[in-house]
Amino acid sequence: MLIITRRPGEKIMVGEDVVVEVIEVSGSSVRIGIAAPKSIPVYREEIWAAVQAENRAAAASDVAQLPDDVPTPTKNPQ
Amino acid sequence: MSGPLDSHPTNGGDSRMAVTLQSSRFGELQIPEEAVLDFPSGLIGLGGRRFALLARSDDSAFVWLHSMDDADLAIPVTNPWRFFDDYAVELDDDEAQRIGVTSPEDATVYVTVRAAPALEDFRANLRAPILVVGNHGHQVINQAPDSPVRAPLFADLKEEPSKAA
Repeated sequence: MLIITRRPGEKIMVGEDVVVEVIEVSGSSVRIGIAAPKSIPVYREEIWAAVQAENRAAAASDVAQLPDDVPTPTKNPQ
Repeated sequence: MSGPLDSHPTNGGDSRMAVTLQSSRFGELQIPEEAVLDFPSGLIGLGGRRFALLARSDDSAFVWLHSMDDADLAIPVTNPWRFFDDYAVELDDDEAQRIGVTSPEDATVYVTVRAAPALEDFRANLRAPILVVGNHGHQVINQAPDSPVRAPLFADLKEEPSKAA
């Protein structure tokens, strides 16, 4: 892993298109600004990992576990 | 299992062009070209690019979001409001702009479902809904509070046995 020391206001280029800026350092928190092209989504890692895990679990769903006639949910606004 | 699987009519149209979908679950299916959804960023952590929504009927509770390119990759999804009346999706401005949504009516919303042997163990991911906008699909991070990654779909079923115990 590349480790770089930066001060608030200083930036890092990731490739040609992604700019990471240290906005503010306060105690143990760092505020970071990220400018990336629209085609590159940016996630907090722990959320990304949780969603990846859930996507994998959902993708392991068995067809037989999804019957057509599931109990009709009581909540149905339409 | 009953009834044929068909592409979910998210995108209607009369085009006769069809694309073949190979599925390890459902065999070979013909998908109308206009029903193929392009996911520019894939599913979060899973990738994939082209998917189709497969349902047995228009009112199926669960629909399969199936990869056009990976016979094994398919995820059950559902209309979240069928189970969670007060569900809300909030996107931050950058995300909304990224996927080209300016108002809620622009998108059809699905949430992924984790099936299980027992209905009370079914879970829906309210945190990362799938938005279908035209023929594009995006799995996004929902900023609304109370959007758990694993929300019980049949919470009412779970309460009854525990009350009896």
